[in-house]
Amino acid sequence: MSAILSASAVSVALSGREALTGVGLDLTPGRMTVLIGPNGSGKTTLLRALLGHVPAAGDILWLGRPLSEWSSRELGRLVAYLPQTPTFEPGDRVLDVLRLGRMPHGGWLGLDHAADDAIIDTVAADLSLRDLLDRRVETLSGGQRQRVFLGRALAQQPKAVLLDEPATYLDLRHQVDLYTLLGQQTRTRGLAVLMASHDVNLSLVHADEAIILKAGRVVAQGEVDRVMTEATLSNTFDVPIRRVRDGERAIFVI
Amino acid sequence: MKRLDGARFARLIVIAVGVWVVAAVVCTLGGSTGSFGQVSGSIARLRWTTHVLPASLIGASLAAAGVAYQAVLRNPLADPYLLGASSGAMLATYLWRMPLVAALPWVGGWSPHAFSLTGALLAVGAVMCVARRGGRIDPVTAVLAGVIVNALCGSAFMLLNAIYRDLPGSGGMMAFLAGDIQTSAATRDVWISGILCGGSLLALVPLAASLNVIRLSEDEAASLGIRVHRVRWIALGLASLMTAASVAISGPIGFVGLVCPHIGRWFVGNDNRRLLIVSMALGASLLALADLLERVLLDRLGTLVPVGVITSLIGAPFFLLLLLRGRR
Repeated sequence: MSAILSASAVSVALSGREALTGVGLDLTPGRMTVLIGPNGSGKTTLLRALLGHVPAAGDILWLGRPLSEWSSRELGRLVAYLPQTPTFEPGDRVLDVLRLGRMPHGGWLGLDHAADDAIIDTVAADLSLRDLLDRRVETLSGGQRQRVFLGRALAQQPKAVLLDEPATYLDLRHQVDLYTLLGQQTRTRGLAVLMASHDVNLSLVHADEAIILKAGRVVAQGEVDRVMTEATLSNTFDVPIRRVRDGERAIFVI
Repeated sequence: MKRLDGARFARLIVIAVGVWVVAAVVCTLGGSTGSFGQVSGSIARLRWTTHVLPASLIGASLAAAGVAYQAVLRNPLADPYLLGASSGAMLATYLWRMPLVAALPWVGGWSPHAFSLTGALLAVGAVMCVARRGGRIDPVTAVLAGVIVNALCGSAFMLLNAIYRDLPGSGGMMAFLAGDIQTSAATRDVWISGILCGGSLLALVPLAASLNVIRLSEDEAASLGIRVHRVRWIALGLASLMTAASVAISGPIGFVGLVCPHIGRWFVGNDNRRLLIVSMALGASLLALADLLERVLLDRLGTLVPVGVITSLIGAPFFLLLLLRGRR
């Protein structure tokens, strides 16, 4: 299947320091790729570089077109981004947040259309948000909030979604729920997903591919089973990590 | 909140205009003695052109500028004077009264309103220059720079007032500080301010949807298809232009730009597409009614209570009430 994103030799310098050096990756529909690496390894910088939010050297092609040739609105229709801590204003209701996802599709006055309601309704149903549409975002739990912001991203009807450690502030159950939901949506919607993650076990279960980053360089990349090995992860995080079998599954333990 | 399609948007505009028309009719036909409708056509026309229309346009402009400033600066306490427009205008108006400035070859022939407009624009321009980094504008730096420019202009104004106590035609510094719909302004100046306010108001309407998004973090807003810094520049530019044009005619009328957006949120929530229209109607109606109240108080008390004092006296307790209700 043809790649939605093809990036090669991507390098970023922040304040004169090499934050990312020679990274290359492809994203294809229906597959989830995780970015694994310690804090400061360049995961967020890579996500931002792929969207043009930080200046980067190298080739970044979305659907074969260089990033610089995409207008903001065009890119907003193609790829959605969910930062580590999404923002909202006190008083914003869930429906308001979901509606923002239709922004790249709006006309010059930014008015809504009947088709927008249908798209938002489908997203709300897929993410079990229908009962929450009138709730204020500040009254929701962390897990519910992340579902809402994922809903905003899906309302953009993107072909690709970039997520920056979306499970950071969630408890164990909500982490599992979010990864499961992301896996489902990746497959049912045919999305190309790139997600920065610290959870090696959930990544091993739900992701298709992994890119291991350390100090801005790719240590390993490819199918998760092949890439996420004891040696690679131990070397990347500088702690001894063992991969053990639990029935059918493999899990990592420290 | 239901979707805002073309029909609902048109209905919202009709309701907003309707509310303002009712207020404008009351203010045009309402007499200072409490009578209603007992005015000749020429008096009504005079009230309309010298009081109701300027007050409405200034009120709508300040309220719309408040919506824009609060969204761009991501600060619910932002008002149109935060970036120095009022203090710049105040200082420039006072400078105009100085014989030394009046004797200058080119600017000496300017009207006080032209001075005021220029002062407001220069002050906001200085703030924008400080807050600008590589073509981008940083909201936090803009607010800090605004505080500094306001303090500088305010201090210079006080210093000049201390030195030149008897400037001709000054009317005392309180005359400008309080803010009032000045009927003495030349027709040309009123027209210039009116065109700047009206044009900026119309140009701000298509930006309202983008204002919903730039409240978010820069990365989120950009990923939703918004050119964040361009929207910030345009919105701040338009809001500052209409604030400067308003201050030039009326002086710094307090609370309208701060309170009207908050009252508007009470009715329509955070959606800036709705909020902008509703706030304009509220600002226009509130200031026109406050101006009527000023005329009534002048008749009853025999002394002028500037409209800026009235809006603050009404606005402050109302704002407090909103805050207390919101906390519950």
